[in-house]
Amino acid sequence: MMTRTSGPAVNYTRRHLRFGWWSLLSFLILGFVLELLHGFKAGLYLDVSNETRRLMWTLAHAHGALLGLVHILYALCLRLFPGLAAGALGPISVSLVGASIVLPGGFFLGGLSFYDGDPGLGILAVPVGATLLVIAVFLIARASGSLDGAPRESGQRPGGRKPRQRN
Amino acid sequence: MTQVAAPETVRADFDNVRVELTQGGPMVLERDGEEFWAEFDDPGWEGPTAERPRIRRQVVMVTGSHHQNIYWYATGHDRGLNVLPSVYLLEEQQWVPRSAVVLHSPGQSVAMLNGHWNAICIACHTTLGKTAFDTPYRSEPFEEQTIETTVAEFGIACESCHGPAEAHVTANRNPLRRYRLHLAKGRDREGDPTIMLPPQLDPTRSSQTCGQCHSVWEFYDVDGERHANRAGLPYRPGDELRDTRFIAQPSVDRDSAEMLAFVENDPEFVRGSFWPDGMVRVSGREYNGLIDSPCFRNATASDRTLTCFSCHTMHKPPEDPRTTAEWADTHQVSTDMDGNDACLQCHEPMRAELTAHTQHDTESSGSSCYNCHMPYTSYGLLKTVRSHTISSPTATESTELGRPNACNLCHLDKTLDWTADRLRDWYGTPMPALSDDEQTVAASLLWILKGDAGLRALAAQSMGWAPAQATSGTSWMVPHLGEALGDGYDAVRFIAARSLRSVPGYAGLDYDFVAPEQERVEAAVRVLREWRASPAAHLRREPELLVDANGELRVDAMRRLFEQRDRRPLFLRE
Repeated sequence: MMTRTSGPAVNYTRRHLRFGWWSLLSFLILGFVLELLHGFKAGLYLDVSNETRRLMWTLAHAHGALLGLVHILYALCLRLFPGLAAGALGPISVSLVGASIVLPGGFFLGGLSFYDGDPGLGILAVPVGATLLVIAVFLIARASGSLDGAPRESGQRPGGRKPRQRN
Repeated sequence: MTQVAAPETVRADFDNVRVELTQGGPMVLERDGEEFWAEFDDPGWEGPTAERPRIRRQVVMVTGSHHQNIYWYATGHDRGLNVLPSVYLLEEQQWVPRSAVVLHSPGQSVAMLNGHWNAICIACHTTLGKTAFDTPYRSEPFEEQTIETTVAEFGIACESCHGPAEAHVTANRNPLRRYRLHLAKGRDREGDPTIMLPPQLDPTRSSQTCGQCHSVWEFYDVDGERHANRAGLPYRPGDELRDTRFIAQPSVDRDSAEMLAFVENDPEFVRGSFWPDGMVRVSGREYNGLIDSPCFRNATASDRTLTCFSCHTMHKPPEDPRTTAEWADTHQVSTDMDGNDACLQCHEPMRAELTAHTQHDTESSGSSCYNCHMPYTSYGLLKTVRSHTISSPTATESTELGRPNACNLCHLDKTLDWTADRLRDWYGTPMPALSDDEQTVAASLLWILKGDAGLRALAAQSMGWAPAQATSGTSWMVPHLGEALGDGYDAVRFIAARSLRSVPGYAGLDYDFVAPEQERVEAAVRVLREWRASPAAHLRREPELLVDANGELRVDAMRRLFEQRDRRPLFLRE
């Protein structure tokens, strides 16, 4: 017989942990690539005329990596505070994942092709991503007001429910 | 480029360095944190030489970033600047006297006057520079004048070429406007109406944007100079340049009242910048070359008129694979415009007839439009620069004007007679009357032995030019470049040494062009002696190369040509 935790909070914890680590890995690799472009003095990245691209891709790397950490932190919070965001888990998750894709993605696309000192049209995705991030953070902040302040005790299941058994 | 002196702009070592080869006593350089200081004999002193004071001043500004660093110090009087008596050569990593980097007569002093930068250099080395002397420059002792010089920006910034941009900056704070313009760019070539875009002006006004600095010009009168002194130069991109300044064009205005007046005040005004037919011979004045070019002068359609922007771009396109440094080092030539495509923009039919026209193989340097129609006949910054007057080579320009023709700048080992013969056969160019020497001695040797200092510099530089070396060989050049190591003109010696180092076997030549004369002569004698003893001396036994059938140098002929040298003092005003 095998048991495993289930229920919405557990799924979200896993979801954001997994998304966070993979996202972190992806954007760390992007950072590594950017370092290589520096190392090999790639003109497409370092030339004065490509300053906009350099800024955009740096921002994509930084935002993507930081948002990956936010996912991991959020997942840990869900683990520690099972009541966090109860009732808003779905919207928070969608907003946070959306922000993590659209925000750095917009910066990256904005640097792919650009107009002199202005990023390319991909930059239009950035305010959308920023809005999603604001929504997610707002929902988490609002939900955190309903917590009783006591973290889950060791061995206690998220959400305070007993694990269901499955044959 | 003009920059504030700072650790990232000062390329020379100032850390307790003593520069012996300079004007007057040694120049002692010190660095104090971020500050650069120098102690030297005051170059601005206009009293008795023996009383020239020793001064210690802070270096505050740097000009030049490709070939030389020229350092400017605060004189201590108002905002007056002057130049350090030595210049730092970047590639050679060598300090040399300021006078050594200018092609001027050995007996002539080079102006290093207090306030020279404020009054003269500021016009083209800053954006909206205002000289602001209370009385005309040098009308009173420098120390008695009030100098409130200001600039909008050091160097050539956006507004130098695009004009006043306040409305442009204000309008484009709106991102929606910017993106509307970006997206419309492909369809609407008019661009942004709030800013002047020089390439979109008519060909004359377009090129005048560059010509505001890259021309030989003067104020029409004292009133014009005083107005510019107060308010900055009145020209704005898009204006007619000649409305506010006199552009010297001796090919058409040699006898104009303005030109005659300038020549009366300064007899070398024309000779210092132009060949006898009015073609400009100094670098940095390419607009003068352009306006004398048939591709500009005779053009009837604006889209088929040569302008600066036909070949150059001031903003490297992102898709250009060259690095910014490469693009800058190749004179900011546009993508793919460094070859025949530049000319084929208009002369497309020539593409299929290239070898028939050039009489050279397709891959030969003789099939380069540039090499034949824009030869290296201008001088500046210790090197030669392509003529920007598009022309076709003739032997006559060499016999009558003393200007090297394109053929012999590559075929250095051939006579003018050989060139005239080829040009007659290929293009029907009339055969000029030629002297015995012009028929029997290689043109380059006539130039380097008989020519004025400017011509000698061009010939010496060509001897180091890879296409010419590949065409003409190098072994025979050595004694003549060696002889030029003892030339009276610093610039000629510098170029001769650089060319000699490019000849196989001479890369390690031990020679300093600003060393005492005795050392230089010894170096020249050593080069000649070693060459005579080497097998290379006997490779080319050709009378036109002044080598007899026994492989001996015809010293008597060399001496005779040397005696005929044009020794008129020459100061090229690059």
